[in-house]
Amino acid sequence: MADTMRKNLASNLVLIVAGMFLFFPLYAAAEFSLRNGADKTHGFAAYRWIFEQSGFAENIGITFRVTLLAVALNLLILVPTVTWLHLSGQRYKRIVEILTILPLIIPVVALATGAQIAMPEFMQNSVYELSFFYVVVAMPYTYRALDVGLSAHPLATLTNAARSLGASWLKTFTTVVAPTIRPSILAALFLMVALSLGEFTLAQLLHWSTFPVWVTNVSQQNIVGATALAIGSLFFAWILLFSFTFIGKKNSTIVMEEG
Amino acid sequence: MKQSTTKNVDVKGALTNKGAFHGFFNPSPLPLLPLSLFFLIFFLWPIGALTGNAFKSNEGAFTFSNITMLFQDPYRLAFKNSITLGLISGLVGAIPGLAIAMAIEKQGSQTLKKFIASISGVLANTGGVPLAFMFLAAFGPAGLVISALKSVGLDLYGLGFTLFSFTGLVIVYAYFQIPIMVIVVTPALSSLRKEWKDSAANLGASKFQYWQKVGLPILMPSFFACYLLLFASAFSAFATARALTVGNIALVPLQIGSLVDGNVTINQANLGYALAFGMIVISLLAMIPYIWIQNRTAKWQTR
Repeated sequence: MADTMRKNLASNLVLIVAGMFLFFPLYAAAEFSLRNGADKTHGFAAYRWIFEQSGFAENIGITFRVTLLAVALNLLILVPTVTWLHLSGQRYKRIVEILTILPLIIPVVALATGAQIAMPEFMQNSVYELSFFYVVVAMPYTYRALDVGLSAHPLATLTNAARSLGASWLKTFTTVVAPTIRPSILAALFLMVALSLGEFTLAQLLHWSTFPVWVTNVSQQNIVGATALAIGSLFFAWILLFSFTFIGKKNSTIVMEEG
Repeated sequence: MKQSTTKNVDVKGALTNKGAFHGFFNPSPLPLLPLSLFFLIFFLWPIGALTGNAFKSNEGAFTFSNITMLFQDPYRLAFKNSITLGLISGLVGAIPGLAIAMAIEKQGSQTLKKFIASISGVLANTGGVPLAFMFLAAFGPAGLVISALKSVGLDLYGLGFTLFSFTGLVIVYAYFQIPIMVIVVTPALSSLRKEWKDSAANLGASKFQYWQKVGLPILMPSFFACYLLLFASAFSAFATARALTVGNIALVPLQIGSLVDGNVTINQANLGYALAFGMIVISLLAMIPYIWIQNRTAKWQTR
């Protein structure tokens, strides 16, 4: 018993120190962003400044649409493939695993410069080309999230059972597979959203103005405003995060009750 | 709680891997086609095109001159800096990241695990100007931490520290490197089975002996593989480096950015492609041991 407590003390300590490293820059930036000029008062002036900058709504809109398309591509291409890999394509899992780790290894800068040369005109003329590359760049994370999530369920047994009971493949997918793996899909989509909202390198090098590029450009005018923007965009990501974990949690309790 | 997790793992082992309906037919790889095509068009093709252009002269003829430029300053220096940054930042991310992942594993709380996984997902993607400004507010010349230390008599900037330096980059990078480590090392930690610890204890091993003879040797390859990933991540980081340095540190990604960013001659663009190609070569060199390690561990980790 005493041993367990000592063990938890050490691990708690590690987590507290990690939390502090995580928290301090956030706190410092939040405090700085609320300063009113040189005096010691605090207020939301810097946050109001954000909304006064031209292009704010427009660039948020672009980033949102690019993110939506990236999420849709994930649902269309990655989710069915990973599901299939778990159901009957296990012999191909190793090769897919190696392929999907590649975008983490190959520098994004290299992918961006390569895209400049390789992509045909009609792709280069549309901001939505970014969505396709975001899907690739996020794949090391999204693939793993799906893979880990799917491994936790006896998917093959569930589908075999549904099929034996006479369900069509479509019905099996929509009523058995999809509800079971929904938390994993959400986790993967969440990672996709997190990447799309903050991605800078590809957007900048392919000369598109997205929200992170816009943030970089307006940051040069006002340092307090830029800090407010940094905090604002992070909090925005947190809010998304918590809504996602909430949905995920609701589903996982259902799954646990079944098990 | 503990029991149910073990049960789950057993269920998975028994049913997903050796399910009654599996292994009796050879599935065709046709369902892999959409993903493969996607990958081919939006990943392999650009990388291939880049490689081709790295060996092209101004007039489009085959040449090695772009590549030989990589071995001359300032590009040689940039490669040296970027590699060093990757090596050091990898360590600064890997060790605390491993400690955090172990702490979470010890806690054993599923909620905490899920929470940290989500947070890590966000932080791993934090970078660029927002990250730079956060650290400026904390560790900049007038930052909160720096002023607080100054008020107790420790003037870090007076001692020569600056955020706009190599050390500064390493500190800032840790903010996304540690979360990446937590994400990638957690599966390896989960593969350390509790039974091994119990058997070691039964055979009279102390905790230290367990880690020395069993835990660490098993963990070492995975740790090294994760370290390589972190190396690649810091080696190729662009957004944060661009936001934080003011041209005082030569780094390859920044040089590529300025070389291919439009307002330069075509000749220099090809040099940019050669630099990018050089980065790919180094990253792949780091990846070969990674794949080898993964294959070795995958052999015994699957049941």
